[in-house]
Amino acid sequence: MSQSQSQANQQRQRGRPRLTETAAASVAELLGLVRKHQALTRLELEKISSFGRAVVSDRLTVLSELGLAHENETGISGGGRVPRIVSFSKSRAVLVAASIDQSSVSVALSDLSGNLTAQHHEQGDLGLDASDAADRMITLIRLMLSRQTKLPDLWGVSISVPGPIGPSGNGRPLTSTPEFLKGWNESKLVERLMAEFLVPVWLIPSVETMTVGELHGGTGKNNDCMLFIKTGKRFTAGLIYEGRPYRGATGAVGLIGQLPATHEGNLGTLDSLAGAEFIEQAALREARNGTSEHLTDLLNKGGELTLNDICQAAQLGDPVCVSIITASGKLVGTVLATLLNMLNPQCVILAGALAQTNDIFLAAVREAVYGASHPLATRDLQILQSQLGNTAGLLGAAHICLDYLFEPKMLRGWVMAGTPLKHPDIACLRQLKIDSDGLI
Amino acid sequence: MGIIGLGPHGERAAPPERVVLLPNDITLARRKRFRVVIVMHTLESDWSKQLVQGIIGTLGDAGAIVVEVVDCGFSAEAQINALKRIRLMQLDCVISLPITSEAVAEAHSMIAATGTRLVLVDNVPSGLLPFKDYASLVSADNYGLGMMAAEMLAEHVPKNGRVALLGYDKEFFATNEREISFSRWISTKRPDITTDIFHFDSLRTVGKLANDLLTQPFRPSGVFVVWDTPCVEVLKVMNQIGIYVPTTTIDLGSEVASSLAQDGPVKGIAAQRPFQQGESVGKTTVTDLLGRKCPEWIALPGLAVRQSNVAESYQAIWRMPAPRAILDGLAPR
Repeated sequence: MSQSQSQANQQRQRGRPRLTETAAASVAELLGLVRKHQALTRLELEKISSFGRAVVSDRLTVLSELGLAHENETGISGGGRVPRIVSFSKSRAVLVAASIDQSSVSVALSDLSGNLTAQHHEQGDLGLDASDAADRMITLIRLMLSRQTKLPDLWGVSISVPGPIGPSGNGRPLTSTPEFLKGWNESKLVERLMAEFLVPVWLIPSVETMTVGELHGGTGKNNDCMLFIKTGKRFTAGLIYEGRPYRGATGAVGLIGQLPATHEGNLGTLDSLAGAEFIEQAALREARNGTSEHLTDLLNKGGELTLNDICQAAQLGDPVCVSIITASGKLVGTVLATLLNMLNPQCVILAGALAQTNDIFLAAVREAVYGASHPLATRDLQILQSQLGNTAGLLGAAHICLDYLFEPKMLRGWVMAGTPLKHPDIACLRQLKIDSDGLI
Repeated sequence: MGIIGLGPHGERAAPPERVVLLPNDITLARRKRFRVVIVMHTLESDWSKQLVQGIIGTLGDAGAIVVEVVDCGFSAEAQINALKRIRLMQLDCVISLPITSEAVAEAHSMIAATGTRLVLVDNVPSGLLPFKDYASLVSADNYGLGMMAAEMLAEHVPKNGRVALLGYDKEFFATNEREISFSRWISTKRPDITTDIFHFDSLRTVGKLANDLLTQPFRPSGVFVVWDTPCVEVLKVMNQIGIYVPTTTIDLGSEVASSLAQDGPVKGIAAQRPFQQGESVGKTTVTDLLGRKCPEWIALPGLAVRQSNVAESYQAIWRMPAPRAILDGLAPR
């Protein structure tokens, strides 16, 4: 809004002081409607919110001055004057969404609608020093922010991590780094990010971020009840129940890799009998025995066989690899059938290298599921591959952070200041960090 | 050298050999006579010309007709207009190199929404997903290319030196990857070197940026430019002001290759293989049009080119004899 328009507004409103306390609730409610596209014009805002025309007009002026909403485009006339479209200013600030897993580090920037405007993924080994991985993540965040033409207003950093956070997380920002994997609390990742960027920091289990990512932008979009299975070295599951992630009593939901399974008479866990390590070992044996020329070639060339190599060979039709991947898929399908009989979701999304680099795994899972489930549980069930890859975790991390910042009660606490960084709870975190800088 | 980078959504790379056209596929494709349009960011560079040749030749072998090759002249607006226009052409597939990530995203989504298949080269517009919106992305291993360029430049930079990285201002997967991996290699393998990052938004502004950098009191002891066309602009500035600084870049264009051969400022080039990449794009397009699933990201490894292998690398990459300027530079003195 130009300075002259702003002065004109102030002129009009002279003698009508705003009551900040009462205005916050209505401003937050209107912003919520605009942000979720539930109302697109002033008339729709009046109808849905039950606020009068003067109140809607006044609050939209406030939102415009705060840079949170604007009215630029015109809509379609319903008979009278052409209405102005009220839009949420999604570029008002950015969030950093990041992800660490066993073999890669990813960093993205998200606008306030949860759209990823830039992302980068690179290989990294979590088995190495946690402090090195934390350094790399911070360097990448700095790099991504510095690439923006105008230094953006940063509202938060949300990181997807490969392990349960415990009850302290639960969608809230943290003040210290939990031990989600061995040695990570010593990396002081959260403390360092807060000290450097002075914003709240979230650490969220990767299975939860990926599940939420699929719900908002992937194959599972708009499903109220969805089961997400992450495959790889370990199997984990995420559950969307009534459109929201289910976190369990202590944030340890979905550790399905620990469920008992049997393969060729051997009793073990799903992780140990169907996971990446088991598949790689089985393929290595076959390559050494010479039963698969393709695997023997790959082994001789590279000195090792990765899950990716084996899945790609299966997709190309190598019968030994097809057999190994099929066995893994059937085992996963059998365990999955138990979960489906209990939970009856609308769809199951399979993600991770094992599920996404070939179609054989998916086919085997489906076969086992349909063979072992109650017909009612599978009648309308969809079992699909993820299309998002690692982006699911980034997308979910951004959306979980946005859900927290724009939750109605939270929003009422900061909307009149125009930034969540001035919300008492977050300002208090920032102050805590500034005071304790010397201790980090 | 294997593929070091990850794809735009964190995918692991599939090698180009994953997509093969068998004689049966060719026969089937010829019967269907697919219609394809190629939308390029530019047709001016050697790289683009070779890539397009590779695509057209492979599609021709499979009886697919390239009805138009669009040159967008690095303009996002031109690309959007081109995509809007060709949407009405009843095509089987559009092969596109998206100029940016954000601005052209909607235009590419609209192509996907019409049911026309989309095969991407080097970049993915924001929000587009493999299999849902596009069949496959075919690119070089840009992360690996950036590392190669860093290693070759570091050999010519003294201890505690400073290098200038001239990156592209636009959000573009390939150049972003090169920039990030170059910085990473320097910070981990030569931590004594400081990298100063600068961005240019068009070829017009590179010259001024280079001039400012090279004429300042503390000029860099090395320069890395994210691809060869802007690097040529930097070389022009060096010639004008008579200040030469070791330089590395990506893509074996004729002018940078000549500088490398003739002991000029260019000390190394991380080369892509555009013709082979074009062939891979062509095979991917036909495979997808025949209804078979292709890998979401196909990546080709780069080639480190130094003075010692510039002539044979030129032949291997461009499929033609090295020009006189390169051969003369290598002649024994």
